[in-house]
Amino acid sequence: MPSSNPLPPKEGALFRKLLKCYELKQYKNGLKLAKQILSNPKYTEHGETLAMKGLTLNGLGRREEAYKYVRLGLRNDLRSHVCWHVYGLLQRSDKKYDEAIKCYRNALKWEKDNLQILKDLSLLQIQMRDLEGYKETRHHLFTLRPSQQASWIGFAMSYHLLRDYEMANSILETFSQSQTAIEAHDYRHSELLLYQNQILVESERLQQALDHLIKYQGQIVDKLAVLESMGDLYIKLKQHEKAVPIFETLIRRNPENVFYYEQYMLAGQVTEPRAVVAIYRVFQEQYPRALCPRRLPLNIASGAEFRIVADEYLRRGLRKGIPPLFVNVRTLHQVSEKAAIIEKLMLQYYENLTRSGHFSREDADAGAPVEPASALVWTALFLAQHYDYMRDTDSALEYINVAIDHTPTLIELLITKGRIFKHAGDPVEAYVWLEEAQSMDTADRYINSKCAKYMLRGNMVQEAEEICAKFTREGVSAMDNLNEMQCMWFQTECALAYQRMGRWGESLKKCHEVERHFAEIVEDQFDFHTYCMRKMTLRAYVGLLRLEDVLRQHPFYFKAAKCAIEVYIRLYDKPLKSEAAIEEIDIENLPPSELKKLRSKQRKAKKKAELESAQAAQAQVKREQHQKSKQQANQETDPDAPQLDELVADKLERTDEPLEKAIDFLKPLQQLAKDRIETHLLAFEVYYRKNKLLLMLQSIRRARAVDPKHPEVHSCVIRFIKSLASYAKQQQQPLNEHVQQVLDKATEELIGRKTPQQLNDEFIAKHNASIMHLYEGARSLYELDASKKAAAIKLVTSFNLSKMRLEEAVKIYTALRDGDVFGDCENEAAAYQQACHERFQYARIFRNVEELEAQLQEKEAARLRAEEEQQQLNHVDSSEQAVPVLATAAAAS
Amino acid sequence: MTEAEEINGTEVEDDEQDSKQKKSDAKRHDDGAADLERVTDYAEEKEISAANISSAVEQFGNQRNKENELRVAKEKELQKVQVKKEDIELIMNELLVSKSHAEKVLREQSGDVVAALEAIISN
Repeated sequence: MPSSNPLPPKEGALFRKLLKCYELKQYKNGLKLAKQILSNPKYTEHGETLAMKGLTLNGLGRREEAYKYVRLGLRNDLRSHVCWHVYGLLQRSDKKYDEAIKCYRNALKWEKDNLQILKDLSLLQIQMRDLEGYKETRHHLFTLRPSQQASWIGFAMSYHLLRDYEMANSILETFSQSQTAIEAHDYRHSELLLYQNQILVESERLQQALDHLIKYQGQIVDKLAVLESMGDLYIKLKQHEKAVPIFETLIRRNPENVFYYEQYMLAGQVTEPRAVVAIYRVFQEQYPRALCPRRLPLNIASGAEFRIVADEYLRRGLRKGIPPLFVNVRTLHQVSEKAAIIEKLMLQYYENLTRSGHFSREDADAGAPVEPASALVWTALFLAQHYDYMRDTDSALEYINVAIDHTPTLIELLITKGRIFKHAGDPVEAYVWLEEAQSMDTADRYINSKCAKYMLRGNMVQEAEEICAKFTREGVSAMDNLNEMQCMWFQTECALAYQRMGRWGESLKKCHEVERHFAEIVEDQFDFHTYCMRKMTLRAYVGLLRLEDVLRQHPFYFKAAKCAIEVYIRLYDKPLKSEAAIEEIDIENLPPSELKKLRSKQRKAKKKAELESAQAAQAQVKREQHQKSKQQANQETDPDAPQLDELVADKLERTDEPLEKAIDFLKPLQQLAKDRIETHLLAFEVYYRKNKLLLMLQSIRRARAVDPKHPEVHSCVIRFIKSLASYAKQQQQPLNEHVQQVLDKATEELIGRKTPQQLNDEFIAKHNASIMHLYEGARSLYELDASKKAAAIKLVTSFNLSKMRLEEAVKIYTALRDGDVFGDCENEAAAYQQACHERFQYARIFRNVEELEAQLQEKEAARLRAEEEQQQLNHVDSSEQAVPVLATAAAAS
Repeated sequence: MTEAEEINGTEVEDDEQDSKQKKSDAKRHDDGAADLERVTDYAEEKEISAANISSAVEQFGNQRNKENELRVAKEKELQKVQVKKEDIELIMNELLVSKSHAEKVLREQSGDVVAALEAIISN
C-alpha cells in the first residue's frame, strides 16, 4: 500500500478486516476495528483509518461525523489513494457525482491500476453519461483483468452505448468463443446471447442476427424472445412464409396481443381489408374467448362491412354489460362515417330494447329470446357517452338521466353524468356527481381518485386532499404522503388548480415537487449499474439507460413544466408586491370611511392570518416529528437520501429571477419534447421577455417546423418583428453586426419584404374561417396599432359562436375579461359573456355570479326540504320499511 | 391546573401509543425497501478461463489506439482553428449556451461567428 504511513502487520491485518466489514455492511464491527487501530498511540492520526472510520459512520447514517473524519483522514495523508477513494465514495453517497469523479481521479493519480477505484469511477461515468470516459475506464479495466467475465461485458457495452456496434459485437463474439462448458438452462448466458443479438439487430445486420439466433436458440431459455425476434427478422428479410407459423404459435400463446396479429398480417402479406377481416373471423372461431380478434376488425372494416362487425361487437358488449365498451370503441369516432354508423346502431338498439326487449325488430319477429334487462341501461349509458363525445350535452344528459332513473345505484352512470358536465364547462356540478358516486362505494380507489381529480378541476384542493386521505397512510398528512408516494397525477392537477386560483407560490411548489420526483428517478438508476451487470439482464439494462435519457419526456413532467413556466412568466409580467408594500396601498388617498373599512378588514385578515399561521406551525411541528421518526427508521436502511431545501410557497413566488427559473424547466422540454409545439411557443414567451432576438427566432423556426399553420406562431412572428424594430431604441446601442446579419437573413426568409401590418392583414383575410387564427390576428392588430382596439375586438366577438368550441370561447372570453390582450374592455367582455352563455348554457364561466349564488341557495333549500321530508317519512313508515325498496324496484322496471 | 396536567399526561401516553403504532406501520411499509437494499450487496466476480484471451486483449488494444489517434487528430484539427474570445462571448450571451458549447460550435464552423450563430438557431 503506497501510503506515506504504512501500518505494521498486526494493524495492517485489522485494517484489511475493516475494509471487509465495510463491504459486507457490518458497520458496527468496522467501527470497533477502527477504534482498535486508532487506540495504538503511534497511529492515532492514521489517515486511511480515520477516513475508513468516517465512511463506516456514513454507513450508519451519521453524515456530519462522517465528513469530519474523512476530511481529517485525507488531510493527514494526502498521497493516499485510499483516502481519496473514500472521500469519493462519501461524495457519491451524497449524490455529488461531479465532485466524486474528481476524487476518484485524484485517487487514480496515486494508484492508477486500482480495480476498485476504476470500477467505482466507471459507475459514476455511466450515471453522468460520460460515455467516452466510460469507454476509457472500461478498457482500462479490461486490460487489467481480461479473465473476468464482467470486464468483457462492460467493455462491450461501452462500445454499444456509443453505437459502435461492430466493435461491441466482436468483443462479445471473442468472449463467447473463449467460454467453455455452458451449463444447461444458464439464464445469464442466455441473456448474454440475446443481448448480442440485440446489438446485431440494432446494427441492421439482420441476416447475421438471424443466423446467430438460429445457431444458439437451443441455449436461450427465453423462448418467447426468440420467437418474437425470429418472426420479426423473417419479415424484415422478406422470408414471409417462414414468419407465418411463428406468429401462429405466438397467437396461440397469447391471443390478446395486438402486435402478434399485426405481424401475422404482415407475414401473410394480407393488406386488403376484406381479406384481413376474413382472417380475423377464422381467429374468432379458433379463440372464442379472445377479445382481440373481435375488436381489431373494427379498425380495418368500412362501410357495410363495418356495420356488420360493429353490430356483432356492440351487441356482445351490451349483452354482457361491459362498462368500458364506449371507451373501447372511442378511437373509431375519429372517422366520422364510423361514428355515424355506431350512433345509428345504438339508436336502433335503444328503440327496440324499450319496445320489445330485443336489439332489433328482426330478432323480435323471429321470436328470439329477449335480452337481459340491463342491456337497456348499458345502451343508454353508451349513447350518453357518445353524445358527450360529440359535445351534444342536451342529448347526453337526456340519455344518462334515463339510465339513472332505471338503475340509480350504478356508479358508472354517475361518473358519466359528472363527465358530461365537466365537458360542458361546469366543473362544480361535475364534482357533485362524482362525490355522489364516490359515496356509494367508499372502498373503491378508482372512484376515490376520480372524485379527487374532479374536485381539483373545481379548484377545491382542501376537499380533494380530504378525499385522498381515505387511502393514504395513517398518521401522516395526506398531502405529504401523496408527495412521498410520487403521486404525480394529483400533484400536477393540484398545481393547475392553484394556478387557476392565482396562488402562484403553491402552484410552483407542486411543480417543483414533480420536478424533484423526476430527479429522484434519475438518481435511482445508480444501483442498477452494478446490479444489472451482475445479473446479466443487459437488454433490460440498456432499455433502462435509454429510458432515463428521455425521462423528462413524460407527460407528467410536461404538464408540470408548462404550468411552472406559465406561472413564472406571469410573475415576471406582474411581480408580486412584497408583503410590507401591500400594507401601504394608497392609504393616503382613501376617504376616512373607506379607511375605517379597510382597517377593520385588515384586522380581520390579520386575525385570520395569525390563526392560519398557528395552524401551520402546528402542522410544521407534526411534520418535523414525522420527519424525525422517518429519519430514525431510515437510519439503518437509507443513509444516503440527501436533505433538500424545503420548498416554501412564499419564497418561490417572490423569486428575483423568474425567467431563469422558467428556463430551468424549459431546457428539458426543448431537448426532449421537441415535437410538441407548446414547447417552442413557451420558449418564445420566455425569450421575448428576455429580449433575446436570436433565441426568439430559434423558437419560431422550431415551432414552424412542428406546425407552420399553428395560429400562435403568427403572433410570435409579429412580436418578434416588433422587438427587432425597437431593439436599438431600448438598449440604446446598435445590434452587433454579426447578429444583425443573421437576423436580416432570417427575417427575409420569414416575411419577405412585407411590413408587419401587411402581413397581419393578409393573415386575417386568409384565415377568416378559423376563430383561433382570427384571435391571433386581432391580437397582433392591437399590438401593432393600439388605436385599432375596437376593430380588433370586433373581429373576434363577431365570429359566429355556433361554429365555435367551448375551449375557444373560453380563451377569447378570458382574454377580454382579464384585459391583458386588448387592453381594458369591460363592456365588450360582459356582452361577450352574455352571448357565450346563450350558446354554452352549462359552462360555469359564462354565468353570472348572482345567478350562481341563487342556484346555490336554492339547492341548499331543496336539500333542507328533502331532509325534512325524509324525517317525516321516517316517522310515518318506521313500521313499513318495505315501501322505499318497492319504490326503487318500480322505478327500475 | 391539576386537571390540565392530567389531560396532558394522557395525551403523552396517547402519543407514545401512536408512535408505537407508527413504528410497526413503518416496518410493514418498508419491507420492500429492505429487499431493495440487498441490490447493492457485495458480490464476488466470476472468472473465466484465461485461454486464448491475451491475443484478443492485444487486438482490442490496437483497435482502440487507432480510435484514439483518430480522435486526437480531429481534436488537433479543431484546436488549430483560430477563434476570438469576443466571438465566444457573443454566442454565449446571445444564445445562453455554455462556454464549451459555444467554443465547440465556433471551431466546427472554422471560426465564422455568423455561421456559428446560424448553426445553433437552426437546429
